[in-house]
Amino acid sequence: MSEKKPKKIKIVIAGPFAAGKTEFIRTVSEIEPVTTERKITDPKEKEKKSSTTVAMDFGKIKIDDEHELYLFGTPGQSRFNFMWEILGEGALGVIVLVDSTDPKTFHEARRIINFFQSRYPVPLVVAANKQDLPNAWSPEDVAVALDISEEEGIPVIGISAKNKDDVKKALLLLLELIKTQLTG
Amino acid sequence: MTLTGDLKSFSFADILQVLHADKKSGVLIVEWKDMTVAYYIKDGELVLARPVDKVFRIYVDRDFEKLLEKLRLRESSLAETVKKFFLSRLDNREGIFSFTQGFIRYPETVPVFYPAEYLIMESARRLTLEETERKISDELLVFEKAPDYEEKVRKARLTDEEQKVLNLIDGKNTVKDILEKSGLDKLTLYRTLYGLLSIGAIRRKRKKAPKKPSISLDLLAKLIEKIKKL
Repeated sequence: MSEKKPKKIKIVIAGPFAAGKTEFIRTVSEIEPVTTERKITDPKEKEKKSSTTVAMDFGKIKIDDEHELYLFGTPGQSRFNFMWEILGEGALGVIVLVDSTDPKTFHEARRIINFFQSRYPVPLVVAANKQDLPNAWSPEDVAVALDISEEEGIPVIGISAKNKDDVKKALLLLLELIKTQLTG
Repeated sequence: MTLTGDLKSFSFADILQVLHADKKSGVLIVEWKDMTVAYYIKDGELVLARPVDKVFRIYVDRDFEKLLEKLRLRESSLAETVKKFFLSRLDNREGIFSFTQGFIRYPETVPVFYPAEYLIMESARRLTLEETERKISDELLVFEKAPDYEEKVRKARLTDEEQKVLNLIDGKNTVKDILEKSGLDKLTLYRTLYGLLSIGAIRRKRKKAPKKPSISLDLLAKLIEKIKKL
């Protein structure tokens, strides 16, 4: 008799280039994340990091014998936007990571939020990453810069994707939001 | 707390939006190639603009009233400094900015000649189409007026064209609809929407009601417990 495959539950980790998506997944995944990184050739982008995700990253957390949580990281560069569409399908929720030290990426983050809100109106949390760095904008300022109004119901949380407790907090915030929508 | 960035990717409209929303007080320094200007911000309002030859000079004068005495500025001339060193420099995007919160001791009241809403709209009027598309990223976006929009647009002193756009914002018209109904060019419309959004007079309207999550409560509870134990 063939073994029954666990059911997949999907959360999408989106965000602009170099926001820390791969690191976020790596911090909590129970498996070594599967990545599709390629070396960066653009000199401007190379200043920030040497490789980038071109299709997706994924990490996995086993919930029980029948269910697994998959964390799918989207590519950050806008030329790979078509992957957002593919990865967003069937997602339980979305976490949009923002590099709090780099305001020039804030507008791109808002574009990503707009994309997911219009295509997949599932619960969404913004994680203002790199709060451990000295020039990080506060989560409150990031929220204003992203034009997130209270009515939108998008919580913004400050995190460092290197810190497991912070990543857990962001995931739990999203799951609580999902719970509210289920019970509300 | 410090907010830093460059004007090419984060315009004056964006900076003032953040400072004004939270009614921050402090000093915003912009370093251009030809000059450095200190902008004194009290409760989110720009009250004085002052060019400096060296950045450290800003940190020498922490008392705002004493600074005005030193500069021999009367309150009535504060507006002139904003005109000369802020409004006239809106087209120059080669600057790097940093905002330091607190630090300056302001008196309880300082006159505001140019409200933040006005300065934000003025900044938005200078944006390129590419820059406006950072916020107005989709022709199908729908905006609605904020509950307190009247006071905000009064301070912003809208032009007739901008007023026309505002009148068409009703929570139903898409950006594309407004473009067709107003007869305005795309750049004017996008600049107006950008400005109105930045001053908080309008906000995005969610197109769809949130989808009911496709997970049972039991499984969700298991998932939450699992994440907690990681």
